[in-house]
Amino acid sequence: MSELLGYVLSGLVTGAIFALMGSGLTLSYAATGVFNFAHGAIGFLAALLHYELTVGLGVPSWAAAAAAVGVFAPALGYALHKAMFRGLAQAGETAQIVGTIGLTIALPALGLFLVDLLGWLPVDVAHPRGLGPTPAATVTVLGTALDTDQLITFGFAVLAAAGLWVFLRHTPYGLRTRACVDRRGLARLRGIDADATSAVAWMLSSALAALAGVLAAPVLGLDSHAYTVLLFASATAAVFGRLRSVPWTFAAGLALGVVQNLVAGYADVFEEVTGLRTAVPVILLFAGLVLLNRSRERVAGSTAEDAPPPDYLAGLPAWRRRLPWAAGLAALLAFAFTAPDYYVGVAAQGLVLALIFCSFVVVTGIGGMVNLAQAAFAAMAALTCGWAFASGLPFFAAIVLGVLAATAVGVLVALPALRLGGRILTLATLALALLADQVLFQVDAFSNGTIGWPLPAIGFGFADTTSPRVRVVVLLALIAVVAWLVRNLERSASGRAILAVRSAPAAATTSGLSAPRAKIMLFALASAIAGLGGVLFAVSKGSITATDLPAFAGFVWLAVVVLQGVRRIGGAVLGGLIAAGFPELLANWGVSAHVGAILFGLGGVILAKHPDGVLAQLAERRHRRSPTSRPAVPQAPPASERVASAAGTAGRGDGEGPLFVLDRVVAGYGDCTVLRGVSLEVRAGEVVALLGANGAGKSTTCAVAAGDLPLTGGRVLLDGLDVTPWPAHRRARAGIFLAPEGRGVFPGLTVEENLRTWLPDPAPVYDRLPQLAARRTVAAGALSGGEQQLLTLAPALVRPPKVLIADEPSLGLAPRVVEQVFALFAELRERGVALLLVEEKATEALAVADRVAFMRLGEITWTGDRGDVDDDRLTAAYLGVA
Amino acid sequence: MRGMVLFTAAVLAAAGCAAQQQSGTAGAAGAGVTATGVKVGGVLTKTSATGYSTKDAEIGARARFERANAAGGVHGRRIEFVGAEDDTQDAAKGDAAAKKLVQKDGVFALVPVHAPNFGGAAFLEQQGVPWFGWATGPQWCGTKTGFGYNGCLAPKPGAGSQTWWGRQMADLLGGAQGKTVWVQTSDSSGSKYGGKTISQSFEAAGFTVVGVNSALPAAAPPPDWLPYVNKIMTSNQGKAPDVVVSVIAGTKFNAGLYAALKKAGYKGVLTDATSYDANILKDPAQAQAFEGVIAAPMFEPFESSAPEIRQMREDVEAVVPGTRLTQHLAIGYWSADIFLKVLEQTGKDLTRQKFLDTANSGFTYESAGFGRIQYPKDHDEPNGCGALVRIQGGAFQVARNMKCFDNVPLKP
Repeated sequence: MSELLGYVLSGLVTGAIFALMGSGLTLSYAATGVFNFAHGAIGFLAALLHYELTVGLGVPSWAAAAAAVGVFAPALGYALHKAMFRGLAQAGETAQIVGTIGLTIALPALGLFLVDLLGWLPVDVAHPRGLGPTPAATVTVLGTALDTDQLITFGFAVLAAAGLWVFLRHTPYGLRTRACVDRRGLARLRGIDADATSAVAWMLSSALAALAGVLAAPVLGLDSHAYTVLLFASATAAVFGRLRSVPWTFAAGLALGVVQNLVAGYADVFEEVTGLRTAVPVILLFAGLVLLNRSRERVAGSTAEDAPPPDYLAGLPAWRRRLPWAAGLAALLAFAFTAPDYYVGVAAQGLVLALIFCSFVVVTGIGGMVNLAQAAFAAMAALTCGWAFASGLPFFAAIVLGVLAATAVGVLVALPALRLGGRILTLATLALALLADQVLFQVDAFSNGTIGWPLPAIGFGFADTTSPRVRVVVLLALIAVVAWLVRNLERSASGRAILAVRSAPAAATTSGLSAPRAKIMLFALASAIAGLGGVLFAVSKGSITATDLPAFAGFVWLAVVVLQGVRRIGGAVLGGLIAAGFPELLANWGVSAHVGAILFGLGGVILAKHPDGVLAQLAERRHRRSPTSRPAVPQAPPASERVASAAGTAGRGDGEGPLFVLDRVVAGYGDCTVLRGVSLEVRAGEVVALLGANGAGKSTTCAVAAGDLPLTGGRVLLDGLDVTPWPAHRRARAGIFLAPEGRGVFPGLTVEENLRTWLPDPAPVYDRLPQLAARRTVAAGALSGGEQQLLTLAPALVRPPKVLIADEPSLGLAPRVVEQVFALFAELRERGVALLLVEEKATEALAVADRVAFMRLGEITWTGDRGDVDDDRLTAAYLGVA
Repeated sequence: MRGMVLFTAAVLAAAGCAAQQQSGTAGAAGAGVTATGVKVGGVLTKTSATGYSTKDAEIGARARFERANAAGGVHGRRIEFVGAEDDTQDAAKGDAAAKKLVQKDGVFALVPVHAPNFGGAAFLEQQGVPWFGWATGPQWCGTKTGFGYNGCLAPKPGAGSQTWWGRQMADLLGGAQGKTVWVQTSDSSGSKYGGKTISQSFEAAGFTVVGVNSALPAAAPPPDWLPYVNKIMTSNQGKAPDVVVSVIAGTKFNAGLYAALKKAGYKGVLTDATSYDANILKDPAQAQAFEGVIAAPMFEPFESSAPEIRQMREDVEAVVPGTRLTQHLAIGYWSADIFLKVLEQTGKDLTRQKFLDTANSGFTYESAGFGRIQYPKDHDEPNGCGALVRIQGGAFQVARNMKCFDNVPLKP
């Protein structure tokens, strides 16, 4: 019994480190939507700094820890937010994963490189110091011997947890962070600077990673690899917190520490299966993903997040599009037949990688699913092929068997993919990749221990693949076949089905398309390609061992391909050649290997700005340069004319200038222009109703007015001040309040917290609206539609804005509630608020409006006083008849 | 589609011709050898994610080659040592490094190769390029070209397996009778294999092995040692065993295990193969964890008074003054030493084939530094020699000098 207690107690200490690491991961993911694979690397950097300060410079341990955790880590978090995470948050899932994987490699390399450069104490993996006395003293707690480092670890974890709870629940920053987590777009409309909130979240999350890193250093040593392992274990805790709840993540982290100890202490039955006990966190990670995180929304990538870039080269003739590739191919072949063996070998190795990389084009480029298990597929095929050949099968049959084995594993991986989507699927493939590495490939009978299997060359009678020249040609031919397959797939009915499933899973299902079949096919094809690549990798090396294609290689590969462009075979080929050639160049120039890793991380920064990779960026640049490609956007009138027209409108009316002006606004989404010169003005104490049919551009007008959508022409004036460049949160603080279409509440926050996002003290609201007072502790998402709309508008009653814009305020409400809502508008008008009501249904709006504007196809077709509106004008506005 | 097939066929045919032309020059006679020099380079794990580094082997090899050159070279040929590549403990990088040295730099042989996860074995064997180093992995064994300086340390079942560690320990402890041993490995197939050969070594010496445990996670040290230590402390019928052998690579692992065992009150003998490393004594906390540990190096300890060790010290001092002698340095040095011996015996007329023929037809060489090496026998089994060093008062003391013992067949 005392043994069990000991395992639980000391397991809690280990768990405290998982808990700290996991909480930071959950916090930053929930607040910004970026899952940071580099979280462990940040911990490593902090531990490295702590080591240099204490052991190298003799700074007291507590001061060094304060510097690393309290100053360095937040600063690093802030810098990364500015340089990378901010861009990545908008960049789609693939770019996010790849960007942070790049950081995982670059950050430790940067740290070690700087240590070299500054001539600091060389890193000795084994000697980091803890926060407590060195050597640590032993203390007995409830009959269990714990050392001072362990006690300090647990103490800090508890402190950090309590601090985090107070911060999130009881400070304005915490409320803003949670509001951003809940509905980021709405938070901006309530004057919350979402960008600043993200920065705070990153700083806090980095500090948590740093604390975990410094506390773990005496146990793990200064080994960046061990920190990555720690990150995976912490990810398990985060997944059990559903990547949303910090308290649950914390609890799961503690529990994971205890479970690990219990397995190590009691589960001797697993001893026969090498690696199974090591893999406990990974198994739990996978289980947690499949059981707890079933995707409720998107199941594959979505068009909203992962839209392909426009085909800028579409206007070019086919020969011109293919010319660079044909020239490149010719150059490569010429190189292969003239260059020395060694360099041709490097090129051949690059093409082997390129063949494997083609599988990313299928599963990620076409299917929109990020798969981190590709190295495991390649290793599976190569090991199976080696095993089959060693067991006496003919070589060709062994190759086919290897490819089939990879395909089978691919289908197995596809099964969880049917339930999961997005990052959850990515993490599941990560878990499977690690599981394959740690358990499956450790089976001696399968991988032949550490020696692996020898493989012969592929012979063609007159030549065989021992020559790198033959390998180059064979691989080019295979890549051509794969390219042809991929092209046919994209153009076939199956290709369209895949695209449909990727873009709109629900719609695809109702159209009779089988989402499972499409996904299984993609995974099968991709893993077959990866498997073929793996076999060729083994053949060109002459042997294959379980450690030749480690799981982590798969992550790096994905990053290399995505950096070039994952949607096309060209990106894969370029990626393969770069992956093989780049280290060679660095070595030739005598550059430190750290520099290569750092450059690789910089790729992630580039990706944050150009998520579709280098190839797409080149095409886009060409497109920008070309004079014929300018979109035909209505030009805003010259400045002088605009000022005159603004002055003209201001001069009209009661001699009092309009409070809020949209002046010839042009705006749209991408290359599609929606608003074509919209001008509107609203005076203080006036209600303007903006009416128009569905699709007229009303909601876009609202978005432009609130600052949610940037303008391409024209300007927005508030009280005579040009607020056009202001972001949404700044306009909100200046007094522009948008009640968006649907409900403008944070469903995850309570009624009280919702009010506090706009009001320092919500008490007056409760006096006015007693039905809200009764439900102040209820989550807003649980309110009825009417109550939600009242909650949306209530803050404006207590702290009236200058301008209130309401987008479809009556939509879906009971008539009595609609009455109540419009009574609120009347009251606000009396208090001098400028109101812009946007409605599809005219009746209620017309009842309160002073003036009316009709909108059609992105233009204002008529503006005038309420009294001038009759049925003919209404009909004309909606039906477009003159 | 038909166009592409034709194109592919044409390209394949062209490749075939080129390949045939090439095959004449590949593996050319006299590669890396001129009238005045022999070009040599190595592959080491200089950097790695786990911090393990064998980079000192380069200094060791260079020191030995410099002495040979100072003495006029071997048969009038100087050793042109191009230095060592770093494989970062990545098999694919090791393969690339081997190809670079052979194809681009044009070396005659790879000396020293000291990388636990070396991936270039298949290429070197296929090209007939000799390689010398520390044969810790099975990729060395059974080859014609891979020469471990103390034989193949990963013999197949049925081949000879070392007994020196157990027998030296028995001699040190005044007999093995009635003494119990616990062998601790980590959860990977490589470490489990090591546990098998080493427990057999202790059994052959007369110890009672009370447990071979592989529960330790392989990737990173466990954050908490308690469950592992509890097992050890009760393995000998509820008591602690007399000897704990650690077969885990990595100072961090060993430091954690030893500190935890001492915290739990362990008073017996601790021994491992990797702690003969001056670095571990630098940190006071760590030195305390390692106090009393018996390290088992597979070469004569530097504290020895043997003339070969004095010579090594002088050679290293001549190349990089002030260098501290380390395990990896010694391995590089002795690998180079054996390579030079074969080179000398091959004679004036030097090709890779002649060199391999000389080495693989009854080559025997003895030295107080590494014991005795015999090829081709030691392509398949270890040379069976080793020493013991005790860590006491923050310094190393020779406990048993280098001695060779007979191998026993490895049980399946």
